[in-house]
Amino acid sequence: MTGRRLFYHGCRLALGGIFLYAGLLKAADVTAFARNIAGYQLLPYSWNYLVAATLPTIEILAGVLLLLGRKVRAASLLLALLTVVFIGAIVSVVLRGLEIDCGCFGGGGNPSPWLALLRDAGILVLAHFTFHLRETAKP
Amino acid sequence: MSRLVNERLTRTLLEAVVIVAVGVVVGLSVNHQLVLDDFAGRLAPVSAPAPRSPARRMTDPAKQPPTAQFPAPIDLDGLRAELQEGAVAVDARSPEAYREGHLPGAQSLFLGEVRGEIGGFFARVPKTARLITYCNGYGCPDAFDLGVTLLASGYRDVLVFEGGYPAWRDAGLPTTQGAAP
Repeated sequence: MTGRRLFYHGCRLALGGIFLYAGLLKAADVTAFARNIAGYQLLPYSWNYLVAATLPTIEILAGVLLLLGRKVRAASLLLALLTVVFIGAIVSVVLRGLEIDCGCFGGGGNPSPWLALLRDAGILVLAHFTFHLRETAKP
Repeated sequence: MSRLVNERLTRTLLEAVVIVAVGVVVGLSVNHQLVLDDFAGRLAPVSAPAPRSPARRMTDPAKQPPTAQFPAPIDLDGLRAELQEGAVAVDARSPEAYREGHLPGAQSLFLGEVRGEIGGFFARVPKTARLITYCNGYGCPDAFDLGVTLLASGYRDVLVFEGGYPAWRDAGLPTTQGAAP
């Protein structure tokens, strides 16, 4: 296995693992996750539960696909787009001076927004390489 | 070449849409009761638009759905109208924070000591009262948690004011200082 393929598989597995883990944590307590989303004050009230009910399963599904090596480009593109949305939400929180739990990995962790942004930037890098190296990594 | 790239990108986007669709269907299937309750106004920190005036209040206490496990939200205008109608504001913050400033007429029921305090609260506030909990604003979950506790304790008409004391104070509305009676 070439170094390039090894790097690709590392990015793919890390990205899939991160989102599978995050999705499972959120899915374990949907109400708490809805509360985290409500803290952002971005959505109408009813939508917070709707997003909390569906976003974790999307993350889990995309994470599992990445771990299995199926639909890798679609899953990594989707997770990159989701991460861009998360970054926008966190930036809006910073700009409005809100102090909230980001809910990135379920509730309770409460990292600083800057740490969450740094983590999201890392996820974008993983998604970028997973997406673009997919073809070169095919046997 | 360009056409091939476009086709591949389109296919990738379609696959991403399918992943989202499957995720939404599975998520809604697993959490369908929660979402139905939400859109029926039977729960939330997050549910249908908050009642803004007494004319839009959801129900009277006797008609409140017995399945309500979560307090519905209320906004600032709704809170002011409800307080004028006789609703009881319940402060979930610490006694120290309450002493420094609270909504006029608010009952203090610190979430951290709710087990010890709930007996006295029962004696002061009838179960038929409309309660509106609040704490330190959107980042503070205590008002919601207190609302859940009050609903589990037999109160059937509990709302939560998520803007909390900061939103009330910053709107220039009157506040009261002093310890709970």
